Amino acid sequence: MILPGLISPSCVYACTRFRIRRTKLLAREDYHRIMQMSIPGIVAHLGRQEDYKEIMDLAADFSGARLIEETVNRNLVNSFQRAMAIIPEELHALAEEYLTRWDIVNVMAILRSIVFDIPGRRIHSLLVPAGRLNRSLLEHLLSLKTCDEALEALKYWRLYPVLEKYYQICGERGAFARIENELYMNYYAALLGLVASGCPGCRELFAYLRFEIDITNMKNLLRLHCGEVACDIVTIDQTMIPGGRIPIDLFRQLYGSMTEEEFRHTFLQTEIAPLLARAVRELGQEPGFSREDAAELVWQRWHQHLRPTHEIEMAITRIRLRELETLSRRYPFSVLPMLAYLERKRYETANLRAIARGKSFGLPPGRIWQYIVL
Amino acid sequence: MALAERIHRILKMKLDGMMLELINRTGEAARKRRELEEKYIHAREMMAVAAMMEGATGVLLAALSVETAPVYRTTGHKSIFGVQLPDLEPVMVKKTLTERGYGILGTSSVIDDAADAYEDLTTAIIASAELEGGIMRLLDEIERTRRRVNALEFKVIPELADLRRLIVYQRDEIERQDAVRLRRIKKIKAKRR
Repeated sequence: MILPGLISPSCVYACTRFRIRRTKLLAREDYHRIMQMSIPGIVAHLGRQEDYKEIMDLAADFSGARLIEETVNRNLVNSFQRAMAIIPEELHALAEEYLTRWDIVNVMAILRSIVFDIPGRRIHSLLVPAGRLNRSLLEHLLSLKTCDEALEALKYWRLYPVLEKYYQICGERGAFARIENELYMNYYAALLGLVASGCPGCRELFAYLRFEIDITNMKNLLRLHCGEVACDIVTIDQTMIPGGRIPIDLFRQLYGSMTEEEFRHTFLQTEIAPLLARAVRELGQEPGFSREDAAELVWQRWHQHLRPTHEIEMAITRIRLRELETLSRRYPFSVLPMLAYLERKRYETANLRAIARGKSFGLPPGRIWQYIVL
Repeated sequence: MALAERIHRILKMKLDGMMLELINRTGEAARKRRELEEKYIHAREMMAVAAMMEGATGVLLAALSVETAPVYRTTGHKSIFGVQLPDLEPVMVKKTLTERGYGILGTSSVIDDAADAYEDLTTAIIASAELEGGIMRLLDEIERTRRRVNALEFKVIPELADLRRLIVYQRDEIERQDAVRLRRIKKIKAKRR
């Protein structure tokens, strides 16, 4: 038995392994090299890597950017499964909860395919079984014909109560979006609950996750506002994730702001303003960009009903990932190295996919580079 | 003959009117087509960005979430020189974020941008189809009217003119024959006396 406050040897062992695994991920130079290659070149390059050898087997079924995307998705699944095998018992629940994100995507895709009568074969190729629900269960779900059967088969899934709650409206117009939002809210609530229950590094992770929720809420608020027809306050309540550092009331207040002064004053109360200012500075657009300038930038986009700029979104993601890295170095034997590895692996997949897709659409390398998270 | 000439004059005026309408509409259609091409390029770019950030999987899953397919309906017809030009109206093409069917928390703004771009493209396609469909119908009518005008100008009216000339000749001939016959009868009667 491990005394409270002490770090178990299995945790030390797992964290060390995650640190080693992290060194095996693609480095900046690798991305530079891959960016110079054509799609067949990338396929050949990945085929020579130990982690991506599967690409040669998949080449019979897929080609081009689709082949690369399929390979990196499968590699993500394998990497997460291997990671789960070395995660110590006390962090297992947290890791599983973190991976539930992929389960939500898969379950929603399957439910939609059943209700909208989309061929299972088409959905099968879109599934990424990186979560708790394994491939065989997902394939079984795909073979089912009705919503009832699918819900029955998902009875032992942690988020089943949410599906059960919305069972009556399954198939109604707009129901899936509501179910999906509710599932994500439960996901975040459960993750925060687990992190709050206490583990090495959980205090820092808790703060990190809460700020992550704030950023997501702010992005979604901008998305909801930018439509031609403004959404009502009920939609705001249905889509804002509770648990962040910024109270939902502040987002409501922000949404109801009519003047620039009011908006800027409310926005500057959040911690998003300094982060945004840093992201813009890092993008190299304006070296002296302050938090007031950030508030002005958000107001301009808000006022003109524009969505967040993708480049700035990516810059924020880069900063957040770097913060997680710093935290994981500061607390080397905690939950943070594990999470830092899982997040970096996720973005490695996203980067390779972005390069492949960008090249297949003929985008210039400079443009593709803006969407790479290092 | 007079009727044919009057119809010919009216059809020619109709043809000129339709030609003027066609020229106006063709200019507008060309402008709309350029807009459509620009929107297509923009939509492709947005799709590229969405595929880069969310992957083909994310984009496809968002696309499969659409609950109401965008359509168009014919609300009525505009009558230009008797040609019925369709009036098309997009139905459920431009949607709000909540009407699109995908969850907001499971997607990002790139999906919204791609959806917006394709909604704009679909609207532009419907507007362009309405205009180009009208032009096609106008062209068909112009072709039909031109055939009628040509038929009247080069076949019906000349044939009628020929017929009129023939009738005049025939009538003159009959008159001459009658005159000759009367003269001969007169001579015969004079001899008998």
